[in-house]
Amino acid sequence: MPPIAADPAQYAAIAERAAFADRSACGRLRIAGADALDLLNRLTTNDLSSLPDGTARSTVLTNGDARVIDHLRLAAADGAIWCIASPGRAEAVAEWIDLYTFSEDVAVTDVSSETAHFAVAGPLAADALAAAGFPVPSLDSVELLGPHPGPLPEGEGVGQGSRPHGRSNNAGVVVASPFGAHIAYDVLLPLADADSAKAALRDAMEEADAAAFDAYRVAQGVPAYGAEFGAFNNPLEARLLGSISDEKGCYTGQEVIARLQTYRKVQRLLMAFAASAPAEAGDALADADGAPAGAVTSACDVGGRVFGLALVAAKHAVEGAALRLANGGEVALSEPAYAAGTGG
Amino acid sequence: MTTATQPLTITITENGARHVRQFMTAEGVERGVLRVAVKGGGCSGLTYVLDLKDEAQDDDKVIEQNGVTLAVDKKSYVFLAGTELDYSGGLNGKGFVFNNPNAKKACGCGTSFSV
Repeated sequence: MPPIAADPAQYAAIAERAAFADRSACGRLRIAGADALDLLNRLTTNDLSSLPDGTARSTVLTNGDARVIDHLRLAAADGAIWCIASPGRAEAVAEWIDLYTFSEDVAVTDVSSETAHFAVAGPLAADALAAAGFPVPSLDSVELLGPHPGPLPEGEGVGQGSRPHGRSNNAGVVVASPFGAHIAYDVLLPLADADSAKAALRDAMEEADAAAFDAYRVAQGVPAYGAEFGAFNNPLEARLLGSISDEKGCYTGQEVIARLQTYRKVQRLLMAFAASAPAEAGDALADADGAPAGAVTSACDVGGRVFGLALVAAKHAVEGAALRLANGGEVALSEPAYAAGTGG
Repeated sequence: MTTATQPLTITITENGARHVRQFMTAEGVERGVLRVAVKGGGCSGLTYVLDLKDEAQDDDKVIEQNGVTLAVDKKSYVFLAGTELDYSGGLNGKGFVFNNPNAKKACGCGTSFSV
């Protein structure tokens, strides 16, 4: 797969300042019902015994073999749960939850096509979001969008009250999530409000296209479905430790995950890398003796600078370790920022 | 040629039924049903559920055997058809045991399964 070729200017905007990206390709589910949280707690890796309105948590939906169905971001607001799924995964997640819903009071609605999703990321993301007139939640928190979030008239403070112009009365949310070295914000709102929200964001910060956002994701070590995790591995390989509770008790896949952790049997681990030569997702990595050591999962080329993520054999997953690409390029491994902060 | 197939019903052994009746007596339930169900969760994905209820629900499949009435909701029945419910007592006993021909895999403690 060709490397993610991000525009250097757009990449610099998000990596050095703040930028927004249209993330509407991600799945969005609304999960409601008196038993919704209990069911999610039984089916996923993190402790969801409690998720009060206004809070957010990440969790992993795993099958009985602990293979990843998806990594989910759950945000509780207005008595229901917004569930952010990976791009193209909303249907699979909804079907999985439905399969395991028996007599429970749980309703899953795929709202992907009727909602919009913008991400605001970068070291100055909080300031930029506030400048765009959106509330800024603290990490792992959720703020409801009022009836009229949007650019403030001149002279007004940031994030205060409703606006006299702009939006429909449908509420959306802003969710604050760990994203490597910095917090990123997901703005979820009705499709009818997408244009005005985008205009407000554009007034306050630069826009990053999909490639620039993806390159920033890779730089921050945030794993993605289909590349770093999926049906081919378990969440421990993808270093999603922040989404796994060791104390919650049984959930689907728990026995396998507990065994892998207890006996230290995780075969591969996600690492970040910088390379001295072009790299592509799928490229094999070898150690100094030429023995297989892993494979590139995501690769970026930003103005000739090559970096990425790789799943490497556990014994090579060490900060500063050197591996080699088939083209002779050297690969220097480092801890992914997302995993280092247990943001997963 | 005939092919042996699992009976598409849920059965309860006399031993299992006797323990159900004992539990009903202990709970003060004179007339009731044993709800046999499945729910999502447990290490393998599906967990067995037993519950004493006053009566079956409208859409339940109702099975009477050995003096016990079993009530199974339709979705659970898909995963339980052919199951024999038994009771394993004594110091090393496991309590109620589901001999479920649909279960391809069970977790270590035996309380959850996958199909």
